[in-house]
Amino acid sequence: MTAEILGRGRARVEGPAKVTGAAKYAADLHPSGLAYGYLVLATVGRGTVTAVDAEAALASPGVLAVYSPFNPLKLYGGIVHSDQSFLGQNWLPLQDAEVRHHGQIVGLVVADTFEQARRGAALVRVVYDARPPVADFAAALPNAVSPGPINGEPDVLDLLAPGVPSIEAALAAAPVRAGGTYTQPPKNPVPLEPHATVAVWDQAGLTLHLGTQAAMPSALTVAAALGQDPARVRVLSEHVGGGFGGKLYTWAHPLLTAAAAQALGRPVKTVITHEQMFSVTGNRTPVHQTVELGASADGALQAVKHEAVSGLSTSGLIFEQAAHTTSRYLYKAPNIHVAQKVAMLDAPPSTWMRAPGEEPGSFALESAMDELAAKLNLDPVELRLRNYSTVVPGRGVPWSSKHLDECYRLGAARFGWNRRAQRPGSVREGDWLIGYGMASAAYPGNQFPYTMAKVRLRADGGAEVSSATADLGTGMRTVLSSVVAERLGLPGERVAAVLGDSVLPMNYGAFASAGTASTATAARAAASAAVAQLVQVAVQNAASPFHGLDPKDVVYAEGRLTGPGGLDAAFGELLTRIDVSGVEAQDGSAPPPDARNFAVHSFGAHFCEVRVHAWTSEVRLRRFTSVIDAGRIVNERTARSQIAGGLVFGIGQALFEGSVMEPASGRTANANLAEYLIPVNADVPVFDIQFLSHPDTNFNEFGARGIGELGTVGSAAAIANALFNATGRRVRDLPVTVDKLFG
Amino acid sequence: MRITFTCNGRLTEADGVWEGESLLYVLRERVGLPGSKNACEQGECGSCTVYLDGDPVCSCLVAAGQVQGREVRTVEGLADGDELDPVQQAFVEAGAVQCGFCTPGLLVQTHDLLERQAQPSDAEIREALSGNLCRCTGYEKIMDAVRLAAARRAESAERVN
Repeated sequence: MTAEILGRGRARVEGPAKVTGAAKYAADLHPSGLAYGYLVLATVGRGTVTAVDAEAALASPGVLAVYSPFNPLKLYGGIVHSDQSFLGQNWLPLQDAEVRHHGQIVGLVVADTFEQARRGAALVRVVYDARPPVADFAAALPNAVSPGPINGEPDVLDLLAPGVPSIEAALAAAPVRAGGTYTQPPKNPVPLEPHATVAVWDQAGLTLHLGTQAAMPSALTVAAALGQDPARVRVLSEHVGGGFGGKLYTWAHPLLTAAAAQALGRPVKTVITHEQMFSVTGNRTPVHQTVELGASADGALQAVKHEAVSGLSTSGLIFEQAAHTTSRYLYKAPNIHVAQKVAMLDAPPSTWMRAPGEEPGSFALESAMDELAAKLNLDPVELRLRNYSTVVPGRGVPWSSKHLDECYRLGAARFGWNRRAQRPGSVREGDWLIGYGMASAAYPGNQFPYTMAKVRLRADGGAEVSSATADLGTGMRTVLSSVVAERLGLPGERVAAVLGDSVLPMNYGAFASAGTASTATAARAAASAAVAQLVQVAVQNAASPFHGLDPKDVVYAEGRLTGPGGLDAAFGELLTRIDVSGVEAQDGSAPPPDARNFAVHSFGAHFCEVRVHAWTSEVRLRRFTSVIDAGRIVNERTARSQIAGGLVFGIGQALFEGSVMEPASGRTANANLAEYLIPVNADVPVFDIQFLSHPDTNFNEFGARGIGELGTVGSAAAIANALFNATGRRVRDLPVTVDKLFG
Repeated sequence: MRITFTCNGRLTEADGVWEGESLLYVLRERVGLPGSKNACEQGECGSCTVYLDGDPVCSCLVAAGQVQGREVRTVEGLADGDELDPVQQAFVEAGAVQCGFCTPGLLVQTHDLLERQAQPSDAEIREALSGNLCRCTGYEKIMDAVRLAAARRAESAERVN
C-alpha cells in the first residue's frame, strides 16, 4: 500500500485548492476595516529628497495618510547590520532623505481603496536634489573592487601545479587555447505573484500575511525593525506564487505596511505592481566574465582561467559568484585560476536569483569548453569526459556521490548526439539551420543546520507534519506528507502537511535547493520520534491495553501497535480508547556531512536542438534532453516540474531576459512583463528529462539532494552552443537576440 | 456607483464602486472572489482571465462600469458543486499546477479553447495559451493537462452520443 508512496508521481496535495481558486495567497486576504497602501517611488537615480508636498494627496478622497522622509514611520536601524537580519537591503525606508537608486521607496500613501491610494500617490509632489547615478555597468567595470573571500576562499584563487609561476605561464605553455569574454544583463526573478503584504494588529501583536520563502526569518526581521518582541510578530505565507530567490529576503514595503497599520489602527494591504517589483525588490546583478582555457592536443586541460566582475548595488547585498561556483571544481586541470570582483552600482538591491553564481558562471565556462572542443575538432562530450574531476581540485576530497559521466553518456544516447555534425552550419532543413549543443550542470547539495519538524498522531487515525517552511510551488507539502506517510505506514491522504507559518517548528525556509534535504529529513526523524512517544503513552496510560509492558515489546507498523499475547490496536483506536486527542514529537535534521570528507553537488547534462531561420535568424528550440543525478528522487512528478521550470529559466537567460538600465538615470526602462520578456508556452520545446537513481547516503539518510536550481545551470550554454553548431556564429553576450545572429 | 451583474450564475451587486476600477478589483476586493489573480495589471500575463458574456478577457483590463448587466464566470464558477470540471481535474492529475498563481487564468483560457476547438493540436494549444505566462512549470505539464482534458471531454461526448 504505502511502500511506493515515495518516488512515483503522487499528485500535489494542494492541487484541488489551487484549481478552484480556494487557495489563499497573501493578497487574497481581506480582513474587515482594510485600508490599502501604495508606494511612491523616486524618479531620480541618486540624490536627496529636499521636500515632499502631500497637501493635494491628503485632500484627495479616501486618503488616510501620506508617509515620507519628512513624515516617517519609525523603524529601528539595528536590524540592518544584525546577524539575524533577512532584510534584503542595507538601509531602512523613509528613515533619511537619501535617494540611493531610481525607483526606491520615498513615500507610502494609505487610503480606503486601492485606487484612492494610487491616485493619492500620483498627487504626492517630491522635490529632489539629484546627482548623476553610477548606473552604467560597462563604464563601472574599471572601478571594480575586491568583494573579500568567497565561500571561505580568497577572491583571487590560484591552484597551480608545483613550479608553475602563474596561470598566464600555464596558458602560454598550452598548445591549444580557447575562450572569450561573456556578458549578461541584470535580471529580475519575476514571480507571477507580486510581493504582497497584509498587516493586521490585535492584542497579541502583529499578524503579517506575506508572500515569502522564509516565514520565520521574515518574522524576526520585521519584529526587530518595528521594535517588537519577536513573540508578538507572526508571519503567515500559506501559499506563495513563486519566488525564485526574490521572496527570500524581507523588503522595505512590508515594514512600512506593518508600521502604517499600527499607526492607523486598521489592517493595511500593500501589493506592489510588477513594475515596482523591479526596483523595490531584488535583482540578479549583471555579470562580465572572461574565460581562457589551455589544453594539450589530446584535449587534456592544462589551465583554466576564469575571472568575473559582477555588479553590486550600493543598497546591497548579493552578487553573482560566477567563477568560484563553476570553474573552481567542474574540471580536472593542473592549473586553475578563479577571480571575482564587484562593480558598485546605484541600482535596485541585488539579491539571490535561481542558481546564483552558477547561472552566469556555467554559461561562460560551458561556452568556452564548446569553443575549445571546436578548436580541437573534438566531440564536446568527449572533451568533458577527458577532463572529468573525481576529487575537488586543490582539496583532494571526493564527492559524496557523482555520476555526471553517466549523465553525459545516457543523455547523448537518448538525444541521438551521434547525429550531431561536427562542422557548424552544415545541417539544413529547408530554410532552417539545425544545431545540436550540450553543457554540464552542477549545483551544491545544500542542507540547513537546525531544521525542525513536528509530527502529531491524532485520535482520528490521521497524522500531521508541520515545519515553518514554504511551498512556492516546489511540492514541499506533498514531499513532507509522503515522507511521513511512508515512515508511519499510512496512506498519503491521511497525513496533512502544515507550513507557511513562522510559529511552526524552526525552519530557515525554502531556498538554496535545500528544502528536501533539510525539512524532509527532519520530518522523517520527527515521525520516528512521534512513534516512540506513542509507544511510551501506550505503556504508561492505565487505560491502555499495553499498560505496564516494556516499550521494547510494543511494535509499531502500518499504523498499528502490536504486543505480546496478540495485543493489537490501530493507533487512532488506542488514542480514542485512552481519551488522548493525539501524541506528538519534534525532531531535527541530522547535521550536514563534514565538508572535510566530501564535496556535495547535484549534477546534470543538458542536450538541446535548435532551429535558426536562414533568412530571418529567428530561433526556435526543438527539444531538450536533460539527465539529472540528484540522488534519490522523493517525488518524480514534482521533481520533474522543478527541472523543467529550471530549464525554462535557462531558456529565458539564453534568449529573452534582461533588464535594460538607462545609464544616465538608473531607471529600468523595461520594468514590466510586456517588455521584460520571459518564455511563453510557444517558446518552449519538448523536454526529455531523465533522473538517475543513485541515493546519496553520504549526504543524508534519505539519499536525496536538491534539484530546484539545477535545471537553470548550464541550460543557456547548451542553447548557445547549439546556436553555434547551427550557424557557426558564437554569441557571448546574452540574451541571444536576432540582431546578434543576423547577417 | 452600484454595479449589478451575474457572477458564476448568481446576481451580484457591488456598492461604492468607482467606475474606473477594474473588474478584477471588484471581484477580488468587493465581492469576495479572489481566485482570479492580480499579477501584471496590463493584460500580458493572463492570470486574471475570466469569462465576460462567454468570452475570455483579462479582467484587469475591463473597467467595473463595463460589467453592468453582464455575465461573468470566474475560476470559482468552473466546478459543478464539489465536482471539478474536466479541465480542473486534468490540471491536478497531470501535475500542471505548481505555485498556482497562473492557474486560475489558465483554466479559464483552456476551458474556452476546448469549447471552441475540441481536439487542438500541440501547436494550437501552445499558441492559444501563449497569453498565459507561467514561471514555474516549464509549460510541459500544462500541455499534458490540456491534452488529457481534451481526451476526457471527447470520451464523455462519445458516451452521451
